[in-house]
Amino acid sequence: MSIPKLEFPPFHLPPEAEALREEVRSFLKETLPHIETEDRFASWNTPSPEFSRELGKKGWIGITWPKKYGGSERSFLERYVVTEELLGNSAPAGSHWVADRQSGPLLLRFGSEEQRQAILPRITRGECFFSIGMSEPDSGSDLASVRTRAEAAPGGFRVNGTKVWTSGAHRNHYCIALVRTSGQHGDRHKGLSQILVDLKTPGVTIRPIINLAGRHDWNEVTFSDAFIPESCLIGNEGDGWLQVTSELAFERSGPERFMQNFYVLRELVRVLGRQPANRAASILGRLIARLWTLRQMSVAVAGMMQGGKSPAIEASLVKDLGTIYQQDLPEVARVLAESDATTEEDMADFLDVAQYATMMAPSYTIQGGTTQVLRGIVARGLGLR
Amino acid sequence: MDRETRDMLLETADRFFTERCGREVVNGVEKGVWPADLWKEIEEMGLPLIAVDEDKGGAGGTLADMLALLRLAGAHAVPVPLAETALANLLVARAGGVPAAGPSTVALGALTLEGNRLRGTVTRVPFASVADRFVGVAATTEGPKVAVVPAANATVTETPSHAGEPYGTVSFDKAVCEFVGASPADGERAYALAALVRAMQMAGAADKVLGTAVEYCKQRVQFGRPISTFQAIQQMLAELASYVAATIAAAEAAARDADEGGFADGGSFSIAAAKSQTSDFAQRIAAIAHQSMGAMGFTHEHILHHYTRRLWVWRRDFGSETFWGEKIGSAFAKAGPQALWPSLTASAYAA
Ligand SMILES: Cc1cc2nc3c(=O)[nH]c(=O)nc-3n(C[C@H](O)[C@H](O)[C@H](O)COP(=O)(O)OP(=O)(O)OC[C@H]3O[C@@H](n4cnc5c(N)ncnc54)[C@H](O)[C@@H]3O)c2cc1C
Repeated sequence: MSIPKLEFPPFHLPPEAEALREEVRSFLKETLPHIETEDRFASWNTPSPEFSRELGKKGWIGITWPKKYGGSERSFLERYVVTEELLGNSAPAGSHWVADRQSGPLLLRFGSEEQRQAILPRITRGECFFSIGMSEPDSGSDLASVRTRAEAAPGGFRVNGTKVWTSGAHRNHYCIALVRTSGQHGDRHKGLSQILVDLKTPGVTIRPIINLAGRHDWNEVTFSDAFIPESCLIGNEGDGWLQVTSELAFERSGPERFMQNFYVLRELVRVLGRQPANRAASILGRLIARLWTLRQMSVAVAGMMQGGKSPAIEASLVKDLGTIYQQDLPEVARVLAESDATTEEDMADFLDVAQYATMMAPSYTIQGGTTQVLRGIVARGLGLR
Repeated sequence: MDRETRDMLLETADRFFTERCGREVVNGVEKGVWPADLWKEIEEMGLPLIAVDEDKGGAGGTLADMLALLRLAGAHAVPVPLAETALANLLVARAGGVPAAGPSTVALGALTLEGNRLRGTVTRVPFASVADRFVGVAATTEGPKVAVVPAANATVTETPSHAGEPYGTVSFDKAVCEFVGASPADGERAYALAALVRAMQMAGAADKVLGTAVEYCKQRVQFGRPISTFQAIQQMLAELASYVAATIAAAEAAARDADEGGFADGGSFSIAAAKSQTSDFAQRIAAIAHQSMGAMGFTHEHILHHYTRRLWVWRRDFGSETFWGEKIGSAFAKAGPQALWPSLTASAYAA
């Protein structure tokens, strides 16, 4: 058969990663009760600069980076364990998440020495947070069509254009923006570059975009003749597309793609009580089995990446399945709680929790590449296009 | 067996199954034709003894070796009881016996043993009417025992499975055993191992379904172009791939855990989760594959049904997602919400 084999070789996280897991657990047990958040069930997009600073003190942000930039030179698999423990224990890890997962690694790989020295140590201390400036009003899935332009000016660039859905821009320090630095709008991925934008730069305006739940996470970020110094170009002029695609591959198979609403499952276990009826136990068990499978897949992908492979299709499959699981979970849980919660009070409370989770769920299959875009990548891998 | 030996064996077996388990052979079994030559050659290759020690005439492989072979067998819809015999032989060998030649099957259910006489009835025993002997595990006051009953000492009522394989109900009425031996695996464990075998066969079959659908859609032309160029078909097949991927990943992870954790109880949570997962997605896999292949995939002529029908039968064998889900759900509920995450990361039943 000529189609590529889908393989998820079972992978054991190494002993040093499991040892770190115990350390992270006891740290969270001590620290979390003292952190204030507005969210009852925090996750990777609940910000808490205070928590991020505590985590930074442990050396657990930028954990894989070189020591000279404040990192701990530990393995990608140790980072995996830290991130999954943050999610599994509902830590408010939103402030540093993007910087740790993609902005820092991007600077490490493509940035100048000056940029690395100026930024990376601050990220690892939990003092410097990042936003992603990719999407625009007319560029979503079709990211190569971005219109924001950076024109050469003495000593740097004049930037004009609009970014949207910029999560956390009103709280964060920097944004890495994908912009056109040469050529014409129709040139697609040619002539795109990424620039490091200090969000306090004159000419950069940040306006809230409120989501359906009434929350302010998103922003519109407009550039009107904003001056960005030459030193803020990331890598070579024209390498923006290459950078963006390598970033996206990394963000797809992580545990945040199936554990964003893990609390729903935990709360479901609580409201079903210690001795649920057979039918309820069975539905619960199936949800647990699916989550276990996703974790096995994600760990297998991490193992392949550690082994120097680039399992792009497998990573896309994890995100596709994981985000859909997160949409199924609150719905299955809602119906189950209605029939099987142990007390009326528990049920009412849980239905609020599940309803909120359902309300947030549409975003999972949109952010970071929609389901349809992911399936397009998989279809290409299957040789269909 | 080392990696290289295993890969060589799998390669040889793959070629052999491709040549010898074609459409006619699989359809023949459905019509009641026992492929005696095929079975003979499978025995000559030593496949049913893959996980039996060399001093007992086996190939000296591990449980993991056996499961890798059975995943491959699942990908070829091998229509003889290779999986059942390999598992039966493993149970017998671990109980101190020497596996006999010929097709065997496992009869796993509530059985009682008095001396060397076995009592009980087991439904949906795979390949019941073609097996030379039945292997069961009975609880006794001296602990679990493996019991082997020759076919002549049991009563079989045949009820073919919906995949056309000769399943049946087997009754033992003080049936005289040809072997009884103390077993490190109790009845529940034997059942779990059978479930794991099915999960691996399902991984093989699921993979084959994906490959079959992809190939078909690349060939089939409608509206002047291969249907694989329609985005609707591409999206369906990519979704199919995600369910197949989950099936493979779950089965393989459980196979690893069962092998590493020891014969008597290794990977018991992982096995439950894997059989729940593989059974859960069987229908999604079958449904998308059939939709993408139109009427042709619904014919008896095409081989797709060799795999989709087996997925539907195998998801029910040795516990469906309802059975295994309940086991997991009850244990996790009992342990409470705080144990959920630590148990998941340990791939273990919540303590
Ligand atoms: C919660 C959240 C946070 C976000 N945070 C950020 C951020 O911090 N920074 C940032 O830059 N962006 C962010 N985004 C934006 C996100 O990257 C885009 O929403 C995403 O890329 C999809 O683009 P779009 O919303 O414009 O949808 P569109 O691209 O307009 O898609 C609409 C629909 O059409 C489908 N579609 C589009 N093209 C195709 C095609 N070729 N084939 C088949 N179907 C297609 C899509 O799958 C989708 O169903 C965020 C989004 C969400 C939901």
